[in-house]
Amino acid sequence: MARRVALGLVTLLILSVIVFLIAQVLPGDVGRRILGPFADQRAVDALNEQLGTNRSLVAQYWDWITGFLTGDLGDSLAFRRPVSEVLGPALVRSAKLAVLAFFIVVPLGILGGVVAARGEGRMRDRLVSVGGLSATAVPEFVWAVTLILIFSLTLGLLPSTAQFPDGSGPLTQIEYLLLPALCLVFVLFGYIARMARAGTIEALDADYTRTAVLKGLPDRVVLRKHVLRNALLPTIAVVATQTGYLFGGLVAIEVIFNYQGIGQAMFRAVSQKDFPMLQSTVLVIGLIYLVATLVADILYSVLNPRVRLGSAE
Amino acid sequence: MSVPQQPVGSPLDDALAASPAAGPRRPDEGRTARREQLRVLVRSKTFIAGAVIVGFWVLCAGFGELLAPQDPLAPDPLNDLAAPSADHWFGTDRLGRDVFSRVIVGARDIIVVAPLATLLGTVVGTALGLVTGYFRGAVDDVLSRIIDAFLALPVLILGLLAITALGPSRGTVILVIGAVFAPIIARTVRAAVLTERGMDYVAAARLRNERTPYVLFGEILPNVMGPVTVEFTVRLGYAIFYVATLSFLGFGIQPPAPDWGLQVFEHYGLISGGFWWAAFFPALAIATLVIGVNLLADGVTQAFER
Amino acid sequence: MNRDTQRRVDAIRARSTEAENHLIDAYSGGGVSRREFVRRGTVLGMSLTSLGFLASACGSGDTSGGNGGGTATTAEQTAKVQPGGTFKAGINIPAGAVDPVTVADDGGLAMLGQTGEYLTWSDSKLTLQPRLAESWEPNQDNTAWTFKVRQGVKFHNGKDLTADDVVATFDRLADPDNASAALSAFRGVLSKGNIRAVDPQTVEFQLDAPNGNFPYLVSSDNYNTIVLPQNYDGDWEKTFIGTGPFKLERFNQGQGATFVKNPDYWDAQRKPNPDRTEIRFYEKEQARVLALQSGEVDAIAQFSVSGGKALLTDPNVQTIALKASTHRQVHMRTDREPFTDKRVRQAMALLVDRRALVDGLFEGRAQLGNDSPFSPVYKYTDTTVPQRQQDVERARALLADAGMADGFEVTIDTYDAFEMPSLAQLIQNDVKPAGIRVKLNIGTSSTYYGDAVFGKSRWLDSVMGITDYGHRGVVNVFLGAPLVSDGTWNAAHFRNKRYDRLVRQFTAQSDIDQQKATARRIQELLLDETPMMIPYFYDFLTGVRKGFGGVETTAMAHIQLTGAGQTV
Repeated sequence: MARRVALGLVTLLILSVIVFLIAQVLPGDVGRRILGPFADQRAVDALNEQLGTNRSLVAQYWDWITGFLTGDLGDSLAFRRPVSEVLGPALVRSAKLAVLAFFIVVPLGILGGVVAARGEGRMRDRLVSVGGLSATAVPEFVWAVTLILIFSLTLGLLPSTAQFPDGSGPLTQIEYLLLPALCLVFVLFGYIARMARAGTIEALDADYTRTAVLKGLPDRVVLRKHVLRNALLPTIAVVATQTGYLFGGLVAIEVIFNYQGIGQAMFRAVSQKDFPMLQSTVLVIGLIYLVATLVADILYSVLNPRVRLGSAE
Repeated sequence: MSVPQQPVGSPLDDALAASPAAGPRRPDEGRTARREQLRVLVRSKTFIAGAVIVGFWVLCAGFGELLAPQDPLAPDPLNDLAAPSADHWFGTDRLGRDVFSRVIVGARDIIVVAPLATLLGTVVGTALGLVTGYFRGAVDDVLSRIIDAFLALPVLILGLLAITALGPSRGTVILVIGAVFAPIIARTVRAAVLTERGMDYVAAARLRNERTPYVLFGEILPNVMGPVTVEFTVRLGYAIFYVATLSFLGFGIQPPAPDWGLQVFEHYGLISGGFWWAAFFPALAIATLVIGVNLLADGVTQAFER
Repeated sequence: MNRDTQRRVDAIRARSTEAENHLIDAYSGGGVSRREFVRRGTVLGMSLTSLGFLASACGSGDTSGGNGGGTATTAEQTAKVQPGGTFKAGINIPAGAVDPVTVADDGGLAMLGQTGEYLTWSDSKLTLQPRLAESWEPNQDNTAWTFKVRQGVKFHNGKDLTADDVVATFDRLADPDNASAALSAFRGVLSKGNIRAVDPQTVEFQLDAPNGNFPYLVSSDNYNTIVLPQNYDGDWEKTFIGTGPFKLERFNQGQGATFVKNPDYWDAQRKPNPDRTEIRFYEKEQARVLALQSGEVDAIAQFSVSGGKALLTDPNVQTIALKASTHRQVHMRTDREPFTDKRVRQAMALLVDRRALVDGLFEGRAQLGNDSPFSPVYKYTDTTVPQRQQDVERARALLADAGMADGFEVTIDTYDAFEMPSLAQLIQNDVKPAGIRVKLNIGTSSTYYGDAVFGKSRWLDSVMGITDYGHRGVVNVFLGAPLVSDGTWNAAHFRNKRYDRLVRQFTAQSDIDQQKATARRIQELLLDETPMMIPYFYDFLTGVRKGFGGVETTAMAHIQLTGAGQTV
């Protein structure tokens, strides 16, 4: 366990170096990015001086990483305010969307997978499998536009942006986040259902299930106690691995729904060569991802007593 | 952009690698088993359905100009965004070009780029997987950490950075997607190699004092071809998805190329105004191709699992 | 004219400068339209009351415009609106920190104008209205301008506005050690330290060179120049300190801001109508357009024809179109093959179908460009210069003369914003008949502009490229850096001594006839040399929902909600 955490941290360190190196390859200088191509060169030089972007790469990286380890994420070069002030709210927004999507797609996916598995080979199965597959195949931006067209412009039921006004209650926030969450549901449903289905089929075939049925236990009990647990295992795996996507990969949806989440923050940080912002954002996402997989590992070993952490190899 | 990403070497490995990774095969059983698998393959309905769809698009990729009724590159600004009609089955785009022709001819880019990207990722990923799975120890630890780091890197960042640094072109797109797939494929191959390395034939080869590269590529590789092939076909679907998304975000092929993702990128904002066709049909094309490839992949997976 | 009026006119003339008298003569003689007379007069610093009086007293009854321009918004601005309420507007998201010194984008500048005010306001008709400056006038040779600072104005923190605040504001912006986005506008015109407070109510600007259009440089056109208190020390986002009709209520980075009416606002004629205003940020135009369509906002500051096509036909949306000087420069490097021979450049310009561009790309909401920055919207533009039209035959003849009868290959560089990729594709298609094979290289804003210096920028190094230039109230900016011999934005590497001389001349002049004559010479020179194509100047479009009104925008993307509200 401790070894896993340590290795994870090493990974993050390497990640930060990779991002740093890549960021250096980006063309253009920061001062110029901020002031634009028509600004006077003297002003650009002055800004670079102010922001400290004319120091050596190593110096900038060192400054940043020592700050990061003490909790100071540095200042965003583009916004001239602490990264945490910009990143914090963006993170919260992404989290809200991710959680809402999660709470819809996981039960739905498991349900779909179990239903398909129980009716393996029959119409139910085909519907879920092919339906899920097709939904996943459609790029999320296509879903986004379609849903907006139907629910926002034609029916007028839901807002066309995800950004809820200040001080909205939880119900209003859900109202605004529902459409983008649905896009995510469509994209992830197929994958989760498929995993749940595979797990369920395997469980239904397993010896202990047959034993339980032979013992005379009712279907539902069998289902709940044995099968479900096994269906959950691969689902946990999938959800954990999708966390990275749910936080960092949603740029297309954030753009269409005008939602200032982490994806957009990262996108903008790259275009503006905002090094502190970019580093912090990527690392925070990496951290979330690491935590998610660790939690998933723990859940996995709890639910599946046959596996012990560290002995998988 | 749903790709399974996780650190190499965790129990979750099994959960995800279990299904597609085929079990080990004895070398002597190889050939007969493979022929049997192929037979099952061509009879599978999913495979056939997938093959038909993909086959259609491959045809378009090859003979697009012959099949397209009009010049996909000829603009007609005074006739822009015309609704579908007898003259233009799929309507015209914002520069007045025929959408139907552009969709047909546009198959070429994606049919060329996606498989190449997947191939790159598979080749590099397989090599990485072989090395990390076989050597273990320090090599494995270090390389695996680097692979993990790449997995944790959001795909978009990589794409954005590469394309900003190298310029938008087919080559860059292939490179980016290949780089994204390599770590994922490496993980799967590694899991398969872990199982293989304990086998007798490996020990036998080592006793014969065969050189390491031979053991890796001559002995182990043929036996992990199953999972590798499965990975290739599965990733291919994602590759198409990614190529389209990169174009959608404005990082892919240059205009005026009739690339599907680019077409959606140029026109999705107009849907709300009622001008749905210029974005809808290319998006539909993307979807059908992805589904087709996924059906193919499913067929292959099922065949190799039996 | 009766004797009393005549006496009054004489009195005004007696205290007017030579330039001002000349203008009055031109107007009386019918050579200048009433609208143009008022506009030029305000630039020269004549008071609006005198101008109003003179306009009717000396007018020859000609009320029609001279060279068009500045249509619309009068209806909007005088619309009757209900008092109070909250008005919601959508704008483009500010690209970075909202700091008056560094703002360089349309989202940021719109924010500056919510609470900040300028010495003068350049309105939709390109007339200068006095704001924090009551009046202004030049010295004899336009090398110094004196501005009278308005009295009785308070900043939002209660401090009184004095000349020292104005001096500090401009010293800050002209200081090369500050990261001032306005530095390029002041280059060669105004230097730090040359602004002084003559007395607490008067500021004098000593210019580096004679400039007849200087008041535009301290107007809303030069959007960084909102007047700030002398002791301003940074971090504008915390307070949005200014003298304007609205005060900051709350600023939500990345999302928007809300403002409340300023009860102590100085201008009794323009009291803020809404109790509150909400400005919302939108990253993409499509989101902005959707927001207006769905009623999430009452107005959006700007939209393009290609992005907002739906709005043009939406019955719930009113479109306000302002004629503007916004354009694209399609440069051709005069020092590189194949464009060293001006006949080749002319040929390129003759191959392009401008009419189709205007009608196709902009649905007619644009004006034809004649390959010079002199937009028809400027009064000193000479519209009698023959308009270049598509002429494929002549183009091919020119190419043959230049030895390029078989055409050639060339790459057009640009980036993926606005309609520029479409323009590039259409040019690519238009030149095919002459055997010219165009390859496109469409990057992002950062890959196109690069470091914005020669040798490190595709913009400045490419053989052919398309660059976007936003609206300006005067043509000076467009004539200078992009085209003078050592200009920092001279992508065409154009070096023409006569051109440089003419531009210096034009800049120094303030007399309308002189400017027009010089403009004509410049226009003809550029038409002959054709270092760049300027195919159109397109309109600035604002969208307002039906049932709302009183929104004022400028082609620079300023948005003023002082008179906004639900229509009665």
